[in-house]
Amino acid sequence: MSESTDKLTAKSQLNIIHSKGGLDHCYPTFILASTAAAMDKEVQLFFTFEGIKALLKDTQTLKVSPMTNANMVIKSPVGPKWFKKIDLNQKIPRIFWVLPGMTKLATWGFKATMRQHGQLDLAELRDVCMDLGVKFTVCQMTMEMMGYQPNDFIEGVEFAGAASYFAMTPPTQSLFV
Amino acid sequence: MLIKIVGFILNGIEEVKLLDLPCPMPIIRIKKYLVECPGVRKFNVSVNDQGALKDIPAFCQQQKLHCCLLEDGEVIRFQISR
Repeated sequence: MSESTDKLTAKSQLNIIHSKGGLDHCYPTFILASTAAAMDKEVQLFFTFEGIKALLKDTQTLKVSPMTNANMVIKSPVGPKWFKKIDLNQKIPRIFWVLPGMTKLATWGFKATMRQHGQLDLAELRDVCMDLGVKFTVCQMTMEMMGYQPNDFIEGVEFAGAASYFAMTPPTQSLFV
Repeated sequence: MLIKIVGFILNGIEEVKLLDLPCPMPIIRIKKYLVECPGVRKFNVSVNDQGALKDIPAFCQQQKLHCCLLEDGEVIRFQISR
């Protein structure tokens, strides 16, 4: 009985297709992947389109843009308590976010909030995933289309197409991001 | 604090402190500890991430570990044994 359950847990896998290029989009993927890997699941992450930016050596290219996500909760990491509680996205007209420097401000705010909450830096979280044996695959076609070179990416990632990803993962797929 | 010291003297149970670490770090640190210290049969963990109150027992159940809640509140303490 225990042998059959062992086999089940040994086979259990998590596969995530990551296709968004925002800094805020990367956290759920890496948090879920690292937790699943810590629970002995085999984790395959496939990065395609803007999602491949999550694996670049330089994580500074990852930004938080309030323009791309109308439902984003934007709270100030600094200021008095009453001010920190306000969701600025609900109070400020959306046109404000097209002003120059707003993406930079939102990215700074996001990073500061994550730091205050004790979350790891994205590059560190990625290393945690790597240490736990999470497999990263970058979509070859996207990489070529976007003009990136294999050495722009962190060590240990694989380059392959969608067919390779589906061949490595179980027949039933759970799609996320 | 006194309970911890007495606990250590009586049982030699190590206290793994995972304070101020949000999800997913408590689980990852516990897993690391389990892998790095295969000789340890029993240890305590203390966390203050409220999500860990449900996550640690779930993790232990999945990993076939015994988990016992010692303290609930601002700081949550579990005793984990294998």
